[in-house]
Amino acid sequence: MRLFKTILAFAVMLILFNMLNNSQGGIPPLGKFLNPFAGFWQNGEKLDQIDEVLDVNGLRDVVQVVWDERHVPHIFAENTYDVYFAQGFLTARHRLWQMEFQTHVAAGRVSEIIGEKALEFDRMQRRRGLLMAAETTIQRMDEDPDTHLILQAYANGVNTWIESLTPATLPLEYKLLNYEPEVWSTLKTALLLKFMAWDLTGRNSEMDMSIIQATLGEEFVNTFYPENTPHTDPVIPAAKPWRFEAMEPDSIPPAFVPQFVQDLRKDEPDEDNGSNNWAVSGNKTASGFPMLANDPHLGLKLPSIWYEIQLKTPDMNVYGVSMPGAPAVIVGFNKDIAWGVTNAASDVMDWFEIEFKDESYSEYLYMDEWIKSDLRVEEIFIRGEDTVLDSFAITRFGPLVYFGENKLENGHPTGLAMRWSAHDPSNEMLAVRNMNLAADRETFYTAIEDFEAPGQNFAMIARDGDIAIRHNGKYPLRGQDQGKFVRAGRDTLGEWQDWIPYEQLPAISNPWRGFVSSANQNPVGKKYPYYMGWDYDDYERGSRINDRLGDLKKIKFGDMQDLHMDNFNKQAKLMLPFLLKQIDVETLSGEMDTILKDLHGWNYVSAPHEKAAWVYKQWWLHLEKAIWNDELNILGEIRKIPTRSVTARLLLKKSKLVYYDDINTPEQEGRAEIINRAFKQTVLELTNELGPYGEAWELGRARGTDINHLLSVKGLGRTGLYTGGGQGIVNATKKDHGPSWRMLVEMGDRPIAKGIFPGGQSGNPGSPYYDNAVNNWVAGKYYDIHFLDSTDIDLNSKLSLTRLRNYQ
Amino acid sequence: MINILVTLIIVFILQLILYSWWWIILVPLILGFLEKDSALKASVGTGLGVFLLWFGMAVYQWKNGGEIIVIRIAEVMGIGSGFVLALATGMVGFLVALVAGYAGFSLRKVLIKEYQIS
Repeated sequence: MRLFKTILAFAVMLILFNMLNNSQGGIPPLGKFLNPFAGFWQNGEKLDQIDEVLDVNGLRDVVQVVWDERHVPHIFAENTYDVYFAQGFLTARHRLWQMEFQTHVAAGRVSEIIGEKALEFDRMQRRRGLLMAAETTIQRMDEDPDTHLILQAYANGVNTWIESLTPATLPLEYKLLNYEPEVWSTLKTALLLKFMAWDLTGRNSEMDMSIIQATLGEEFVNTFYPENTPHTDPVIPAAKPWRFEAMEPDSIPPAFVPQFVQDLRKDEPDEDNGSNNWAVSGNKTASGFPMLANDPHLGLKLPSIWYEIQLKTPDMNVYGVSMPGAPAVIVGFNKDIAWGVTNAASDVMDWFEIEFKDESYSEYLYMDEWIKSDLRVEEIFIRGEDTVLDSFAITRFGPLVYFGENKLENGHPTGLAMRWSAHDPSNEMLAVRNMNLAADRETFYTAIEDFEAPGQNFAMIARDGDIAIRHNGKYPLRGQDQGKFVRAGRDTLGEWQDWIPYEQLPAISNPWRGFVSSANQNPVGKKYPYYMGWDYDDYERGSRINDRLGDLKKIKFGDMQDLHMDNFNKQAKLMLPFLLKQIDVETLSGEMDTILKDLHGWNYVSAPHEKAAWVYKQWWLHLEKAIWNDELNILGEIRKIPTRSVTARLLLKKSKLVYYDDINTPEQEGRAEIINRAFKQTVLELTNELGPYGEAWELGRARGTDINHLLSVKGLGRTGLYTGGGQGIVNATKKDHGPSWRMLVEMGDRPIAKGIFPGGQSGNPGSPYYDNAVNNWVAGKYYDIHFLDSTDIDLNSKLSLTRLRNYQ
Repeated sequence: MINILVTLIIVFILQLILYSWWWIILVPLILGFLEKDSALKASVGTGLGVFLLWFGMAVYQWKNGGEIIVIRIAEVMGIGSGFVLALATGMVGFLVALVAGYAGFSLRKVLIKEYQIS
C-alpha cells in the first residue's frame, strides 16, 4: 500500500512537472511563467531603469546616451561603428522580441515557435522567396564595406544585449511562448527590409483582372478599371512637361486567359498600406522656412512599428524613426534636410503562368524549348514535430509560388511564378545611411538612387530652401497595361526586359505652387511617357491635401497638425447630396427619418462623434455591393470591384445602367431603387448590430481603433480607441490601421520638429513607455522633439545620461 | 514550522541564484525525504513554505514597479486582480511543493521499511 502511495505521489509530481514546465495548447508553461523569480512578475518597470554607467563588451570608444522623458535614446558616439553598435544594443533592450519575431515571420519560421498551425504560412513565405531575396541582398550589402560595417556593428550590439539577458529579464513574449532568442545576424536585417518591401508592394489584382477580362470582356475592364481614375491630382502635377527621349518597350503582350486559377488576394498585405507626405516652401510658411509633414499608414500594432532615435557622430547628426531590427533612421531629419515617405504603389510584381513538362517541375516551356528550372528545397522546422521539406521551382520569371492540382488542357502541370523587383539584389541600407548623411537635395537624390525596393515617393526639404518630391525606385519598363493581367511565361512577351532610367522617373522640385505632396495616388498624368501601373489609391486624400495646401498661407505647425488630423470626407461631399435626393421619404420607417435628417445636416467631417459618418460609410459599401457583387461574383469569389471614384462617376452620370440591376432577382432594379434599398439595408443592419440609433452609432464607437499586440493576445493591446477619420480621408485612421508615425519638421537654421506614434518606445507590456503615447495620438497631439547637439544637458531636467563603456 | 522556514529560505536562495522554477519540486522532495515523523510536516510544511515564498515574492514584485504588468497579465489570464494573481501563483507553488514533499516522505518510508525487512 505504501509503495502504491509512493508511486502515485511520484506520478502526480511528474505529471505536475510536465504540465507546468511545458506549454499546454495556447497556455504558457505555468511553472515557468508564474515563477516570481523569473516569470512574468519580473517584466515590470524596473526593466526601464536607466544606469549611469554600463559596461558593454565590444565598443571601440565611450558612447554617451541621453534619455529623454519618453525614453528616446540620443546616442553620441565617436565613430560610425559605435553609433550603430549602440543603436542595435539599445533597440534590442527595448524591442528584442518584436525584432526577432518579425524576422521569423519574414523568413517563414513561425512554425519553429508556435508549431504546425503556422506551417502553411511559412510555406508561402518561403515560396514567395523572401528568404531567397534576403540572402541575395545580404551578399550585395556585404560587398560594400560601409554597409557591411553598419550591419555588423548593429548585429554585434544586438547580440551583446542578448548575452546580457537572464531568465528573469527575457522579454515577456518569450515567456508566453516558451522559447529563447537566437543569435542576431545581418541576414535578419535584410529579411526585415524584404518584409517591408513585401508589405508595401505585395498587393496585386492580376488574377482578378484576368478573370474579369475573360468573363466580362475587354471593354468592361477598360471602362471600369482605368489607368487614370476620375478627379486624380497626380503626385507630379499633370501639366509638367517631360523633356527626355523615352525608351520604347519591345513588345506588348497579347491577351491571355490563365488556366491556373488562384485567389491571390487572400495572402496579400493590407490594401490600405499607404501614407501622406507633403513639403511646403518657405514662401508659404509663417517663418519663411520650408516645412515637411509625413504620416506612413500601416497596420497598427503593439509593440510599435517604429523606434525613435537620434544618432550623432562627428560626421552625422540625424533624428527620426528606425525600424526595430535595422540600423540608421528611415524617416527623419538632420541639420540640413528632412524627408518623409509614402508608398509609390507603382507595379513591381507580375504573375506568370508557367507550363511544366512533368510533375518534377524541373523543366518548363520557354521559347518552344524545355528549360531547366532550379529547384529550391526549404527546411521548415516545426516545434514538437518532424521537419518538413518543401521544394519549389525557380524560373526566369521568379519562384513558382502557387502550383498543385491544376493542369493545362494538354495535361502538363502548371503554376504561377512571381516576378518581383525585390528579388533582385539591392542595397537599401546604403541608401538609408547616405540619406542620414545628406546635406542638400542633390546628395539626397544621389542617396535614394540605391533605394530600389520598395518604391517610395520621397518628399524632402532642405535648409537652403529646396522642396522636392521623387517617385523613387526601380521600375520595369512596361508596355501599356503590362502587369495588369496574369501573363503566359512562355516567351519574351510580357517578360521584364529593362528598367525605366532613373533620371527619367517622375520628380519635381520647387514647383510654382509652393508645395509638393503625395498620398499613394497615380504619380503622373497622361503626358508621362511610361506606363507604371494602374492600381493606385483613389483621389480623395491627395486632392484634399492639395486643396488645403493651395488655400493655406503663412503656414504654421498648427496648420500642418490640423491637416494631419483632417477628417473631411471628400467622397461624401461628392456623393451624399446626390444620394439623399434619391431617397423616397414616403417609404421610410422607424428611425430612418431621424437618420436621414442627421445625414442632411452632416458637414462631411468624419469626426469620432459623428453618427452620420459611419452610416454614410456603410451605405456606400452596400451600394457598391448592390452594383458590382452580382456581375463580379465569378468562379466562387467576389472579384476586385472598381474604385470609389469610378463607381461615383457612374452613379452621377448614368441614370440607367445594366449593372444597377441585380441579376439574381427577377425584377429590374434601377439607380434610385438600389440607392433606397442600400440605405434601408444599412439602417437595418446597423440597428441589429448596434441597437437603437444613438451613441453606439458614433464613428469612434461603432468603428473606433484597436491597436492589438503583434500576437493578438487580449490584454496586451489598446482597444476601443475613440477615433475619427477613415479610408479616403487625410486622417487615414481605421479599425486597426492608420498613421503609424506623424512627423512635422521646419528646416530653419536649426530644425524644429514634432512627432508621435501610437505606442511607445518600450516593447515591454509591463512598461509605462509601452503605450504612453496612445492617448495623445488619438487626440491629435504631438511631442516636441529634442534634437540635441551635445550631451551637455541639465540633469535636473527630465533628461538623463548613460555612459556606455567597453569593459575589455 | 521549521519545515516551512527551511523550505522558504533554501528555495529563496536557490531561485535568486539559479531562477529555475523546479526548485520548488526538488527542495520539498529532499526535505520531505529527510522528514522522519510526519507526512503533514513533509507535505503541508514544505507546501506552505513555497506558498509563502511565491506569494510574498509575487506581491513584492507587484508592488515594486509591477503594477502595469500585473494588470495586463490578469486580463490575459482572465483573473480579476493582482491579488488573486499573486494568490494563484502561491497556490500553484503550494500544490507542487505539497505533492513533492509527500513523495519524498513516502519514498523514505518505503526505502526504510524495505531496509528493515531485509
